[in-house]
Amino acid sequence: MLSARFSRVSPTLAAFRTVSKTKQAKSATAGAIAYRKGIRYNSTAALYYPNEPKKPQAVTDSIPGPVSVELNEVLGEVFDNRASYFVTDYDNSIGNYISDKDGNQLLDVYCQISSIPLGYNNPELFKTAQSKEMASALINRPALACFPPAEYANILKEGILAAAPPGTDKVWTALSGSCANETAYKAAFMYLAAKKRGSLDFSDEELTSVMNNEAPGSPETVILSFDKGFHGRLFGSLSTTRSKALHKLDIPAFKWPKAPFPALKYPLNEHSRENAEEEARCLAEFEEIICQYPPHTIAAIIVEPVQSEGGDNHASSVFFQGLRDITIKYDILMIVDEVQTGVGASGKFWAHEHWNLTTPPDMVTFSKKFQAAGFYYSNPNLQPKQAYRQFNTWCGDPSKALIARTIYQEVVKNDLVTKTASVGDYLYKELDSLFKRHPGKAKNLRGEDYGTFIAFDCANPTKRNEFLLRMRGAGINIGGCGDFSVRLRPTLVFEKSHAAVLLSAMETTLQEL
Amino acid sequence: MPHPTISVCEGYFPEEPVAPVVVTSSPGPKLKKAADALNKVFDSRAAYFVADYAKSQGNYIVDVDGNSYLDVYAQIASIPLGYNNPKLVEVAKSDKMTSAIINRPALGNFPGADTEEIIAELLKVAPKGQDKVWSGLSGADANELAFKAAFMWYQSKKRGYSSGFSTEETESVMKNQAPGSPELAIMSFERAFHGRLFASASTTCSKPIHKLDLPSFNWPKAEFPSYKYPLEANVAANQEEDRRCLAIVENLLKTWAVPIAAVLIEPIQSEGGDNHASNEFFQGLRDVTLKYGSLLIVDEVQTGVGATGTFWAHEHFNMSPPPDMVTFSKKFQSAGYYFHDPEIIPNQPYRQFNTWCGDPARMILAGAIGKEVVDKDLAKQAARVGNYLYPKLEALAGKYPAYMADLRGKNRATFIAWSFKDASLRNKFLADMKTVGINVGGCAEDSVRLRPTLVFEEKHADILVAGIEKILSSY
Repeated sequence: MLSARFSRVSPTLAAFRTVSKTKQAKSATAGAIAYRKGIRYNSTAALYYPNEPKKPQAVTDSIPGPVSVELNEVLGEVFDNRASYFVTDYDNSIGNYISDKDGNQLLDVYCQISSIPLGYNNPELFKTAQSKEMASALINRPALACFPPAEYANILKEGILAAAPPGTDKVWTALSGSCANETAYKAAFMYLAAKKRGSLDFSDEELTSVMNNEAPGSPETVILSFDKGFHGRLFGSLSTTRSKALHKLDIPAFKWPKAPFPALKYPLNEHSRENAEEEARCLAEFEEIICQYPPHTIAAIIVEPVQSEGGDNHASSVFFQGLRDITIKYDILMIVDEVQTGVGASGKFWAHEHWNLTTPPDMVTFSKKFQAAGFYYSNPNLQPKQAYRQFNTWCGDPSKALIARTIYQEVVKNDLVTKTASVGDYLYKELDSLFKRHPGKAKNLRGEDYGTFIAFDCANPTKRNEFLLRMRGAGINIGGCGDFSVRLRPTLVFEKSHAAVLLSAMETTLQEL
Repeated sequence: MPHPTISVCEGYFPEEPVAPVVVTSSPGPKLKKAADALNKVFDSRAAYFVADYAKSQGNYIVDVDGNSYLDVYAQIASIPLGYNNPKLVEVAKSDKMTSAIINRPALGNFPGADTEEIIAELLKVAPKGQDKVWSGLSGADANELAFKAAFMWYQSKKRGYSSGFSTEETESVMKNQAPGSPELAIMSFERAFHGRLFASASTTCSKPIHKLDLPSFNWPKAEFPSYKYPLEANVAANQEEDRRCLAIVENLLKTWAVPIAAVLIEPIQSEGGDNHASNEFFQGLRDVTLKYGSLLIVDEVQTGVGATGTFWAHEHFNMSPPPDMVTFSKKFQSAGYYFHDPEIIPNQPYRQFNTWCGDPARMILAGAIGKEVVDKDLAKQAARVGNYLYPKLEALAGKYPAYMADLRGKNRATFIAWSFKDASLRNKFLADMKTVGINVGGCAEDSVRLRPTLVFEEKHADILVAGIEKILSSY
């Protein structure tokens, strides 16, 4: 469906068409100059990608180009690719630029739905991918909990665990965001049941009833999530996902509760009182819902620092501290879902660090930009007392843990979190003034002081989709969220120069809208 | 092959050890230290040992103390071609793999130029009758994706494939309520294992410890045949058992409180004790699912990729028509489900969808594994080695009947198992096998399962048989 819309010739395409692809294949000298410039200007992108394009490059009249369209048709015979934007040439993608198979290179601020941390074909990740360790991790994939490799402890300590959010010091690894959340739910359910059971062993009744999927062995305990939250699409995670009907239709779900998430008014500084009231209302309703359940029925709540798929909905530190206080009051675990917000894009390594909670969350889940997935925790009781309960064949993937280690080390070495915060500040201010110059076309700009994790609304879904499409025509690959929002999810090496390209394309596009 | 006297395994692994080497008691001193260090940050209480994968070769796994074990457990049945297989090293070092690792795509949105080619390799080894695939990340994930496909298919049959959703559906679903979130079920079998996420755990019925304290869907389970062994001596009783179990299936399809969108079954229930069933039972199941309009999902996560002597174990059954979906993972390294009915693809995009929709790095590896299995005819080789091994085990079972009951897996290549009297004896046996340098695993409470690689050959079988005999003769 989407691809059909793309095949239209974009009116703005000619504007960014430039002479040649040969330009991209610049000489080694140019690379060396760019490298030196990178050091001089403190540009990590220039260090990594001396040959990164300076702006989008078009070689065909429409995106996707004819080659991409044809390839997509062939692929569609065996793989459901109706959601495909275009067939990508990953070999021709570089840094912040993604290339379709026709050779069009677009500035990418969507980044595989927010999951490319350091840009395409990053040279440091390349080294890791070509290492002996990686080859072994790929071809000797272990059943990690049964036959862990000797080096796994260090790989975790130097990577995933070195990045652990404050107040956590252990990790359980998984394979995707959904899988990370579901394993966290399992930990929460087993923790709650163990607390109720105390020092007792499983009862015969539990052992028998669980085999029939019945209580008490399979209890009616729940996870509470928030309206418009997105936590994945497997059955447990999908039961907590409340973003869109299309994500959930026809799939049986657990009857788990949801609480309202604040709907803040923008600009924030003009609506402080109303927004404080809205958050107080949501907290009161949250507590009310908790009180409707018998004690020790809600094992955990799960919340995103910014509800991303659901429309980039933010809430203040006061709201999140309120959630933390209430969960402590009622002895409920708090899971923070950092699948989309984690790994630097918010201007902190973990977005929930913005809150300065008095007590850290009980579990923090991650995936996407970290490439590896899982959950952090500190309470040893979140590890079930018996082995083989939080267990499966692979228990994660060491090849992804290796990649995560390099990602973490590069983020630290190049100070990418701080840099992202500062690029974000620049971008936010420029967008603010851009939108003021084009009133009525984009509103509710959000993500101030939140790195490049920025979003805004269009007037309605049709306008939003038109905006996304025209931006693609102007050489920017960009994504939406919620019903009428646009979200920016660039890499951590998205810099001022890239922001300038983005802003100029937006200026043109808004004028045309 | 360069020389007829060189076996496939020797071709891959000229340096493979000729016998196990045991230098320390298990666990050795280095192992204890390494396990403790890891356990501080990662729950590794289930660790058999800490492995040195760089030194492991072919059918031999090496631990940090330098013990070298013949591995017939192979990462819970998930190492297809031996440790450090040179063909897979090539693939791991290829540019294609590097790109897949460092440019991991959101495959549904931005498929790569090579995606079609990668999928074509997976489809070359698709089970008979299947011509499409959807990718996941693990066995549990593969099964749950198949459940989702089944539920969407079931509702679309009621609604009409191209019909839209009602307002009532789109509103109720946001509250996790019917009709948008309907009351539908997947039927599984007693002793089945299909994974440990919430829906897959609801279909898993192997052991309480896999499920305790987790909320689950109230889905039905039928009975899987419990045969008497040896099969040749119990034909009538086992046929009767097939009929009894099929009647239970049919009864549940007719009477369960909510519609059953799909029936899910393993060709051999592996975690649940290596329980086998006959071709007639599987054909009966196919017939009854057609009769009642439920899909049939065959879970080949453990049985798939050659170890039973055919690429997919259910190919032994000659079911007609073929199953509606076949799930895979483990030895294939990639995961997902094969299918053929275009209406198993939901009527709109973004319904069967997630960020990654699989992992091209793993899919590339799967394609390479499939190609090696076909090129070197490794399913047939596994059958040959299984036929060599089985009679030797049969002889041992005759000699040590107290420790080898219900030997099963005849004509199922190396996918062989037997039972002990009880769990403690079985566990002792598994531990004792380490002292003779063999890493072997259990299933159910009292069984031993052999899950070697596809390059496990006669000479390895001899070492295994001698090891078993050495331990059993000491009891």
